[in-house]
Amino acid sequence: MSTSNVVQKYKEVGIRSIVEDNLAALLVLPGFLLWALFMVVPMFYLIALSLTNATQSGANSLYNGDGTLLGILPIGNAEFVGLQNYMELLFTDSALEQGVINAFMSDPISIFEFAFWNSMLVTWLFVAVSVLGKVILGVGLSMILTGNRVRGKRFFRGILIMPMGIPVIFSIVVWRSVFSSADFGLLNNLLLRAGLISESIGWLQERWLAFGAYVVTEMWLAYPFMMLITVSALQNVNGELLDAAKVDGAGWFARFWHVVLPSIKRPVLFGTILTSAASFQQFLVPWIFNQGGPGTDPGKNALILVYAYREALVSPSDYALGGAISIVMLVFLGGFMYVAVKRGNLADEAGET
Amino acid sequence: MSLASNIARSLYEDLRHAALTPYRGAKEVRYTIKGLQEGTIPPKNVAWTIVSTGAALLVTALLMFPIYWITTIALNPSGGVYTTSGVRLIPETVSFQEFAWVIGPITTPKAISIGLPFIGDLVSIPVPEVIANKYIFNPTAYGVENTFTAGQLISYGRNSAYIAFFTVVIGMPVILSGAYGMSRRDFLGRKRLLYIYVLLTQVAGSLGVALLIALYALFNLLGWMDPGANTRFWLAVYYAGGAVPFNTWLLKTYMDGIPISYEEAAIVDGASSLRVVYEIIIPLAKAGLATVFVFVFLAGWTEYIVAQNILSSGQYTLPVGVYALSPASSGFQVAWSKFAAFSLTFAMPLMLVYFFMQRYIQQGLSFGGMEG
Repeated sequence: MSTSNVVQKYKEVGIRSIVEDNLAALLVLPGFLLWALFMVVPMFYLIALSLTNATQSGANSLYNGDGTLLGILPIGNAEFVGLQNYMELLFTDSALEQGVINAFMSDPISIFEFAFWNSMLVTWLFVAVSVLGKVILGVGLSMILTGNRVRGKRFFRGILIMPMGIPVIFSIVVWRSVFSSADFGLLNNLLLRAGLISESIGWLQERWLAFGAYVVTEMWLAYPFMMLITVSALQNVNGELLDAAKVDGAGWFARFWHVVLPSIKRPVLFGTILTSAASFQQFLVPWIFNQGGPGTDPGKNALILVYAYREALVSPSDYALGGAISIVMLVFLGGFMYVAVKRGNLADEAGET
Repeated sequence: MSLASNIARSLYEDLRHAALTPYRGAKEVRYTIKGLQEGTIPPKNVAWTIVSTGAALLVTALLMFPIYWITTIALNPSGGVYTTSGVRLIPETVSFQEFAWVIGPITTPKAISIGLPFIGDLVSIPVPEVIANKYIFNPTAYGVENTFTAGQLISYGRNSAYIAFFTVVIGMPVILSGAYGMSRRDFLGRKRLLYIYVLLTQVAGSLGVALLIALYALFNLLGWMDPGANTRFWLAVYYAGGAVPFNTWLLKTYMDGIPISYEEAAIVDGASSLRVVYEIIIPLAKAGLATVFVFVFLAGWTEYIVAQNILSSGQYTLPVGVYALSPASSGFQVAWSKFAAFSLTFAMPLMLVYFFMQRYIQQGLSFGGMEG
């Protein structure tokens, strides 16, 4: 009996049965391939470009000549240069000349290329500050708007979520004029008339003021999403637990800390991770405000994508270097998402365990 | 049909609720005053109601102030920000002249034609001489002086509609079949793929910026950006591809909620798989399909960065048009009030959708498994 079972099993396992068992994959494949065509293919192409010296025009132009990499990826007149772009991006020229390890031994700080690491650190700072702001604003708003004694809760929530429907580019242009350095800029105008300042402030001309303007705008763009998630979490807080805590004599803060916070923690964490991934890739706010400035090449507040965009499509049209910056950024983002998902057990959140 | 009538019914209830608010408010105030006089309602409660509602009102007003400000600018054609002495809480003049400029002159067409990408016009029906090329809407009647620049909303809107249409036509079938496969069938690597899709939900939208360089180069190399090439169509295919992960996951979680026994009953009765999908899954997943439809449509309707880099000037979509008209762009510039009116006309329908659909969007986000 058992022998024939084994024989049966052996016969069943074959290429044909594997294909037949997985026929349902055909339902998913068209969508997956469509997505892969426009996301995975460009990603591999970007990696390939970052290993060459491709530029838009000139001697290494991508669009002249018909050279290929690995026989399929068109790279025009550009040549394969290995990791050179990455080395130039991460380390200073002098460090590369005397060897990175040697330079590191003598003067650890001097080997890091300022433009890139400045951009990277500003990006992380932007993520940290704006995400903290978004969470506080989102949770605070939700607490106010779900209060027992607030009248017209649904009306307020309806009004407050409206920015979600405004095209991002429009919001950003409006916020740019809020922070305009001229007298008629909204913020300057209000402050001047309130008598708090005597002459207009160039909000976008000073580094940390401009950074603050980015953060405020980013918070405004993202608060509806945080608010939606937090409000629906707050509505699911167990009322009986709250009543029990009240009977036991817990004050407002104790109830918030011991009952409300533990029950909204997971959804808020989920929203926080998603929104920090979005902050990490913020491009339009710094670009429209002042091209990542003040200053150029690449600008003191050039977030990482602004830096990549500027290198590749604006001033030197250096596709290879821009590609390398994008790839480094994707590696950091991927690492962040991986850690966040592992530590936050987000797979449960997706409804699959 | 039931979905549409459900939405209509809840909208009607919302409106009725809103219309009766003053009545209920007056009743509550009278009741409260009586309670205070008799001492049945503690004054502390009343004070708390006033304070918390006031706080909600204050934060809402603060957060919405930029939108209110830009609206007052749109309603004041003479000034805009550059010439007025400052911000006014209540605008001095209210005129819809700039909105007439936004709509621009509308005339009846000379011929009605229907076409497809790559094929060209299929049919072209000439319109009778008597009614052809006549004004339906003439902005000069509303005081618009320069009609040459007017009416860009319609030309940009046409490009946006074209792109959004093909995004939906290409995206919806693959999302529907993908979600069904994920929800009801098992295959090798299903969980892994789902995991990837979940990770990409928030990242995918803006991943376009990181990949912009490669996309730009590929569109160029493939000749999709050449003059005469169908750039708008390929852009729509790109948007459809980008919309796949999030929407497949959303629809899949919705389909998981449909009891599997309905399908089993249909299969026992001898229905084919196609018929099961057509007669059971699609009707029962209508609400989920509607949400996904909106998201896929918006993917093509509102995307800015890639469109700005890929499209040439005759093919601009509405978001690119917003930037082109804005004082932030270096090229073509119009008065602030015109820009504000244009952008608000574009944004208003979406803002209203979000205002009225707030409850459903919140539910939509929670059926996507955001709740812990």
